[in-house]
Amino acid sequence: MPTLKINGRRVTVDADATILDAVRAAGVEVPTLCHFDGLEPWGGCRLCVVDMSQAGWEDDWFKVVTACNHPVDEGMTVVTDSERIIETRRVVLDLLLARCPEAPLIQELARDYGIEETSYTPNPEPDDCILCGLCTRVCDHIGVSAISSADRGWGREIAPPFHKPPPDCIGCLACAEICPTDCIPYETSNIRRTIWGKEFEMLRDPKTGEAVITKEQAEHFAERSGVPITYFETSDTSKRRQMASTFQKLQVVK
Amino acid sequence: MAEIPRSDLSVAEEILGGYPAEEPALIQILQDVHRAYNYLPCDVLERVAEALDVPLAKVFSVSTFYKSFSLEPQGDTIVKVCTGTACHIRGAGLLVEELERQLGVGPGETTEDLSFTIKTVNCVGACAMAPVMIVADKYWGSAKPTRVKKYLAKGGDDEN
Repeated sequence: MPTLKINGRRVTVDADATILDAVRAAGVEVPTLCHFDGLEPWGGCRLCVVDMSQAGWEDDWFKVVTACNHPVDEGMTVVTDSERIIETRRVVLDLLLARCPEAPLIQELARDYGIEETSYTPNPEPDDCILCGLCTRVCDHIGVSAISSADRGWGREIAPPFHKPPPDCIGCLACAEICPTDCIPYETSNIRRTIWGKEFEMLRDPKTGEAVITKEQAEHFAERSGVPITYFETSDTSKRRQMASTFQKLQVVK
Repeated sequence: MAEIPRSDLSVAEEILGGYPAEEPALIQILQDVHRAYNYLPCDVLERVAEALDVPLAKVFSVSTFYKSFSLEPQGDTIVKVCTGTACHIRGAGLLVEELERQLGVGPGETTEDLSFTIKTVNCVGACAMAPVMIVADKYWGSAKPTRVKKYLAKGGDDEN
């Protein structure tokens, strides 16, 4: 188990940990936008940059690395708040604020780094999408891959194939839930759900009538897990009731 | 609304038959499809995704990433105007304007009869001949707006 020095404080972490894990274990805060525990680190937003020095390097040798996807090593030294790191994050946030001048999360983070207004020309067509790729990555992760990034350069965007309702989408809302700036619109009710222009019918609990899940999502989960589809259409209330009645039938054996 | 005509998938099937049905073959297949259909038709992309077992979203992502792929039908003759620094200084803008007058469409657009597509490109590596205009595969150096009509008429025919 490697031991590292984070801002002068020693921490010991698992060998397969990343610098971000170690930094968090040391109780130090590093901002992230494209990171989500459970998804493969991506290093796309560049906000989690830190200064890192390996064992055996000269004392003043430091390299700027993204903490989220850099593995730890014995004797590593990490500094999360050096002048150039703060400056790097400031530039990233300044650029993000130019792209998304109206996104509250970006405004807040920028303010933390002393930026009230972007020094670049703000996007004339404000967009809250920061292209962090969390939505497409979570969609890939659950084995659906209904959306992807399209085009490139300044025209890059997240889109379903051919900008039409995605045939593969199961309406699970994972993309909308994971989006750090909440910029994926959707509508959901007890009967219907709409996301990416595709309409879904909700499966309702046969006993309580509550809408739990879309038909497509239940089928996808049932197929992947081997659990019968009826499990997924049962609402939490129904499950609790079932459990209560099961317990009622149990007799205490003395 | 007019119904979108379905593409002839037999050409696509033939292309697919020449490659292993695996994701790494995707770009080569797309290049062949582009050559055969002169663009990437939606229904062909759906077939490619299905055949390679690659999500359609990924195929769409790759198709839109590369400038050499077009999702819209293109003209039989592609007219490219270099708008790199040297060409820009020596009047590439005037060439584009003249093309727009002659063909009635702008950069990135295709004439209604599908005969020409105008594209602007960043540098074709022939700065000494600036401004450069390319009609099909024929390079015209020191191109002049007054001669645009002639360049188009002669097309990419090497004899001229």
